[in-house]
Amino acid sequence: MKFRRTLAVAALGALAIGCAPPQASNDTSGQSEETTGELRVWLFQEASNAAKEAVVDEAKAEFEKAHDGVTVNVEYLPVDGRASRFNGAFNDKASAPDVAEFGNTDLAGYTASNGFADLTADLGSWPDSKDLVPEVLDTATVDGKTYGIPWYTGTRALYYRTDVFTELGLKPPATLDELTATARQIRAAKPDLYGIAVGGKYQFALLPYIWANGGDVAEQDGETWKATIDSAAARAGLSQYAELISEDICPPAACAQLTGSQSVAAFAGGKAAMTIGGDFNRAAVDAGAVKGKYAVIPLPGKTEGSIAPAFAGGNLLGVFASSKKRTLALDFVQLLGGKTYQEKMFGAMGNMPTFTDVQDRVAADDPFLQPFIETVQSGTRFVPSTPAWTKIDAAGVLPTTVQQVATGQLDVAAATSAAAAEMNEAFGS
Amino acid sequence: MRRGQLVVDVACVVIAAVVAFPLYWMVLSALKPAGEVQSANPRPWTGAPTLDSFRRVLDVENFGLYFVNSLVVALLVVALSLVVSFLSAVALTRFRFRGRTVLVVMLLVAQMVPVEALTIPLFFLMRSFGDVVPAIGLNQLGALVVVHLAFSLPFAIWMLRGFVATVPDELAEAAALDGASRFRFTWQVLFPLVAPGLVAASVVSFIHAWNDFLFAKTFLISGTDNRTLPLGLLVFFKPEEQDWGAIMAGSTLMTLPVLAFFLIVQRHLVSGMAGAVKG
Amino acid sequence: MAFAHRRDGRAALLYLLPAAVVLLALLAYPIYQLVVISLYDYGQPQASGAAPLVFLGVDNYVTLLSDPRFWDVLLTTVVFAAVCVVGTLLVGTALAVLANRARTVPRTLLFLAALGAWATPTMAGSYVWLFLFDQDFGLVNEALGSLGFDGMRGHSWTFERFSAFGLVAAEIIWCSFPFVLVTMYAGIKAIPGEVIEAAALDGASARRTATAVILPILRPLLMIATIQSIIWDFKVFTQIYVMTNGGGVAGQNLVLNVFAYQKAFAGEQYGLGAAIGVVMTVLLLLITGLYVRAQRGVR
Repeated sequence: MKFRRTLAVAALGALAIGCAPPQASNDTSGQSEETTGELRVWLFQEASNAAKEAVVDEAKAEFEKAHDGVTVNVEYLPVDGRASRFNGAFNDKASAPDVAEFGNTDLAGYTASNGFADLTADLGSWPDSKDLVPEVLDTATVDGKTYGIPWYTGTRALYYRTDVFTELGLKPPATLDELTATARQIRAAKPDLYGIAVGGKYQFALLPYIWANGGDVAEQDGETWKATIDSAAARAGLSQYAELISEDICPPAACAQLTGSQSVAAFAGGKAAMTIGGDFNRAAVDAGAVKGKYAVIPLPGKTEGSIAPAFAGGNLLGVFASSKKRTLALDFVQLLGGKTYQEKMFGAMGNMPTFTDVQDRVAADDPFLQPFIETVQSGTRFVPSTPAWTKIDAAGVLPTTVQQVATGQLDVAAATSAAAAEMNEAFGS
Repeated sequence: MRRGQLVVDVACVVIAAVVAFPLYWMVLSALKPAGEVQSANPRPWTGAPTLDSFRRVLDVENFGLYFVNSLVVALLVVALSLVVSFLSAVALTRFRFRGRTVLVVMLLVAQMVPVEALTIPLFFLMRSFGDVVPAIGLNQLGALVVVHLAFSLPFAIWMLRGFVATVPDELAEAAALDGASRFRFTWQVLFPLVAPGLVAASVVSFIHAWNDFLFAKTFLISGTDNRTLPLGLLVFFKPEEQDWGAIMAGSTLMTLPVLAFFLIVQRHLVSGMAGAVKG
Repeated sequence: MAFAHRRDGRAALLYLLPAAVVLLALLAYPIYQLVVISLYDYGQPQASGAAPLVFLGVDNYVTLLSDPRFWDVLLTTVVFAAVCVVGTLLVGTALAVLANRARTVPRTLLFLAALGAWATPTMAGSYVWLFLFDQDFGLVNEALGSLGFDGMRGHSWTFERFSAFGLVAAEIIWCSFPFVLVTMYAGIKAIPGEVIEAAALDGASARRTATAVILPILRPLLMIATIQSIIWDFKVFTQIYVMTNGGGVAGQNLVLNVFAYQKAFAGEQYGLGAAIGVVMTVLLLLITGLYVRAQRGVR
């Protein structure tokens, strides 16, 4: 009897505590600042991570030397599965790391989740910040508040194998249609090469195709966004991209699941005649089998002489809003994101610095960068800057669409309509 | 009859070989030098076994620590679950009180609950726990210990109930005549007597905790020091280039303790399972 | 009952308390919370406390049930689980019968091999099977290639939907049949020889002995093995997540559990993920409930 009563009381108590799902408290007042201990840092895993690790280790050593009793623990996350990691960190303030690298496409979403600390004032008092390229600094800003230091910007262009092209007597493609034809020709002549290495999960290679065909994934309509991935132009771009993932260019069994860095790795490993890669992939490609046997041109557009609009990529270094080591974290961000280490990252990886003076110093007369600069000058585009984008990205809406079309599960019309519906739902909420 | 027997025996041996083959391949690949693992012409033996892959996972990737983490979680779950479930099993079989049958039925139903579906609420619950008791909050091994303890209890209690019930009442009466308290009887007589059941229950709890991937993946948010083995293996599986030798070495390390555990307790295991099923 | 005196209730409470606390806090309460969360718009901003909670009522369920993808995943899960359950039971029972007839040494070998498969952790098992069937370095493709199936060199087993599911199912059956084998073997051994002899003396045929005498004795065991298998295979997560890289090309290999995980922890829709969890729980209870009922009816 008594036992049952106790049970009932306990059950009632439980009901009383939780009649709504729990929410994290954002009250950080009264939290004491920690100046020693472990500083946890999240960075992205790249196509050739060793070069990145070397530079970061140097920064880590320098930082630990300058700060007694501080250890820096760096963890490299695969870009592909980042969503669940970052969400976990936003959910539990106590377990979140202190510093993270994140993509500018995720900024709006992360800000909406109170993820990163407002660094506007701190950057204002940082002398170096006046040298940041203003347009790039804008990509770190939401509603006038800056949430990170731009670490590097990235533009993608077309990498191709000079030896293969010479051997087969081919010219680099001048239009996207030509690119498809050339890729097919190469695979027919050399069946163990992919005509071009691109993947179903390589969103940033897909986007230029959509834009070059005159389409876009979504457009802003006042306060809200509306998906336009099901427009005729966007469909044309998507199917042109999906056509690359076919038996006679890049076989779906191997390519449907490829991400950006995997595509680049395939090219670097000598498995493909072309790929769409970033200026930041230079080190990865040079570390591979194709060193000295490739060249880069801007990704062509629909008509000869045009350039496909590139995605204005870039990664930021931010401090988690929940960090108990805000000062230390900021120090580290300013070290790793500062001029010295941006220059080192350029040397090691090819990452384009975000400081005007550093850019001038390292990039002015580097012929490798010419096609990337040309691409930027002809105009870049961006994904919808709304918190919903993080969600759409994490749900893999575009990759799923490409995979469905490439593997013939759905036709372009059906796949893009489903994608548009899913995107509109995300925009709506 | 003779020929039939031979066919049966041969079939048995062939099937045993097929079933054991993936394990053999795992250990073999872990021992092969790197060039032979990543070879387009894999051979089912190696002329030059090496511990290089094991060195790679243990030194470079800190697998030793993940191993210890996994072991700590699994052993804590086993120890706690044995004590708690034994107490409940005793109460449910040797005591009379109202609602006993209801509780037994509830235990059965609890076993059907797909605990994986509870990841979302448990994630937020552990977050709240962490505010009060940091040791069982998210990102802590303690969180894994408590959830696996909870998951293993219904089955363990149910299993032990069958074993406790088979201990004859006369034994308790004799103990009572000798002046032994109920507490002493429970721990000094009953506990050792149900040993086979305890072993079977502990195997099941151990495997659950040791295998867990979903909860480790959701609960352990940042930092590399608190990873368990499955998470370590996942991190090791790099999308760009797979180091199969090291993955197989990690898998071997992960399998060894369970295999050893199984081999030690195998006799009890079979009788324990049978006992539980009968009870 | 030696201890059946009036203070049993209090003692029982004391003995049951630890288990009750743990189970109420970590099983009962989360189930309740699962239902609660499924009734809210609970996204990342809500969970991290950056936006207010909105009570939706059954909206998440409406969204879910009107999503053709959900129905597809649900159907896939049921069929996949059914294949795994049937496969596991068939293999396990057949081998139990075989083991019963075999002599000691072959039988011991079989049991040792089964014990090894049983002991292999899910994660390790998934990777080994993935490696055996690897596109470039896998033994299976190499063996098939050298047997003359040249097309199998470089073949990807995880690309096609059914081939990927088949591979996962094979791994699942491999690591779960030993439980059935051990259970059924113990059951067969426990049948007293006199029963079978008596049946034979009564003139029953071998087939009749099997269906009328042995099967009824084994039925409760078979039932337990079936329920266990249903529970395990219905909520498989690790194998699918690891072997098909999070659900396969365009999510073609998603099962409910992975689907819920992706919706919630990657797609930030915890409310929707919780709704999937509720559906999964209800469904599993329903299936096992119906099964138990049907078995009762047979007896």
